[in-house]
Amino acid sequence: MTDPTKPIDVEGLRAQFLNVVFDDYVMELEAEKLAAYAKSCGETAAKFIDPADSDFQAPPTIGSSLQPRTRYPEGFPKFKGLGMDAGKAVSPLKPMRAGEPITIRTHLHDIYTKSGRSGRMVFFVNRMEFLDTAGEILGSADTSVVIREKPQE
Amino acid sequence: MTINAITDVEFGEELPAFEPDTSLPNVKQFAVAAGWDGPRFTDHEYARKEGLPGALVPGIMSQGFLSAMIHHWAPTAEVRSIDTIFRAPCVVDQPYFINGVVTDIDEDSGTVEIDLTVTNDAKETRVFGTARVIIPS
Repeated sequence: MTDPTKPIDVEGLRAQFLNVVFDDYVMELEAEKLAAYAKSCGETAAKFIDPADSDFQAPPTIGSSLQPRTRYPEGFPKFKGLGMDAGKAVSPLKPMRAGEPITIRTHLHDIYTKSGRSGRMVFFVNRMEFLDTAGEILGSADTSVVIREKPQE
Repeated sequence: MTINAITDVEFGEELPAFEPDTSLPNVKQFAVAAGWDGPRFTDHEYARKEGLPGALVPGIMSQGFLSAMIHHWAPTAEVRSIDTIFRAPCVVDQPYFINGVVTDIDEDSGTVEIDLTVTNDAKETRVFGTARVIIPS
């Protein structure tokens, strides 16, 4: 656990951890689950809800539901208090399809701060990239977590 | 009006309103399909014991609602990005409304930007989003 009375060393963390892949695994999406996912969100096109459709594919936001096996790189410090979910961004480039092996590769993409009257907030952005068997990027999904530092007295 | 080509899109255009299904059975179906079927998303009583107002609609499901709304408006649209900020939780079995407005059009690249919100009955914004979509010419 880091010393909560000291500001988080953002530059040090950036230098040590940014853009280093810390999780990498292969998985396959299941057709019936993709169809259920899309239907429950309100999609109506056959390519999203009918596994028998010739262009059946995952809905565009599926990347946000996937997760790395570990949340942070080995050796990454723990901070006092719970981080809050600050948002998710998903960027599909090519369709992800059921039954095709997909590599999920995760790195810490950004660490940045915002300051306000209540003190400084530190944002950590994890990026998952999705790759097909040829190594082509199918898309990415970012998850942002924010930790609020106590104001310095 | 259904959008079939980027030339049909007008700056400032509001997308047709979309009221998503936030009923418990539908959220459960989503949660199981997504592998996010923890009880805080599927069990009101459990969620209340955790101090929440009720079972929560997963933030990633709200993202899915935004995508569906875009496809209802423009069936040929290809979503290239959706960036969301979860400002406050959405509670299962409560009504929400998805709203969208076109904020930028680039006919050369076929790109349209849309600002999106999820609001509740009290017109409070629970989720902000920005989407970038490609619409064929």
